[in-house]
Amino acid sequence: MSSFHRASQSLRTHARMWYLIDAKDQKVGRLATFVVKLLQGKTKPIYHPAADVGDFVVIVNTQDVVFTGKKWNDKLYRHHTGYPGGLKEIKAKDLHAKDPREVLRKAIYGMLAKNNLRYTFMRRLYLYKDKKHPYKNNITQELTGPCKPAKKLQDYTPAEIENYPYKNLF
Amino acid sequence: MVRGGSVDRSIRRAKIFALTKGFRGRSKNCYSLAIRAAHKALQHAYRGRKLKKRDFRSLWITRISNAAQEQKMPYSMFMHNMVRLEVQLNRKILSELAIYEPRSFQALADLARRRQSKGLLNALK
Repeated sequence: MSSFHRASQSLRTHARMWYLIDAKDQKVGRLATFVVKLLQGKTKPIYHPAADVGDFVVIVNTQDVVFTGKKWNDKLYRHHTGYPGGLKEIKAKDLHAKDPREVLRKAIYGMLAKNNLRYTFMRRLYLYKDKKHPYKNNITQELTGPCKPAKKLQDYTPAEIENYPYKNLF
Repeated sequence: MVRGGSVDRSIRRAKIFALTKGFRGRSKNCYSLAIRAAHKALQHAYRGRKLKKRDFRSLWITRISNAAQEQKMPYSMFMHNMVRLEVQLNRKILSELAIYEPRSFQALADLARRRQSKGLLNALK
């Protein structure tokens, strides 16, 4: 059987999906591992590390991603310019203020395998700081991120706060 | 007195050059480089024959895992129940089923899910 015929048979198997993910209240690292799997095609049974079977991912609301703990203040992104004394560092908070997509982009970029496919995968990733994006017609599926949205103190009723389990421990 | 070389010199060399045909640079023409390249290539080939088995097994496991995740089931649960059900398909065949016969794979996943619900842990619940 000619390879041409084979390719036309498997067109639907190899068709790339377009996923839309809302990054609101998603933890950066957990969302990144989730997205990396989609970009690499590690959700498909035809996965092969050398074959490019990944999907497209559009992430909106990246300005609302979450870091746990004190990472906004403590986490540093470092790079060296190559000149003497050229070690530059920027706090996660400042980087996020500069470009609200960059924190997530760096997390995903760092989690992909360090080979030439990394650039191909990154080209299929689209990040938008708010909910506006130009790929509405392409989206095939909308996914919910791996983290449940955080419940704020204002969202709890007074009765729930009153009956919080730890209150009657001692 | 001028002596000739060993009789089978050209034959021995031809054997090595046959192995290094298509190698890069002078490794394919120059005997002193070719013999070294041939020995190294044979070492790599020996190691590659062992690695091939491991690499393929890990690839099959990744593929089965991906297919099991599509059926909302972790790999470990799927394989464990295959063993308990005495389904004697190996990982190579299971991964091929996942690619070429997704419905058959889905049927196996349903079987696994049913077997899981009959387990001791669920009986205790």
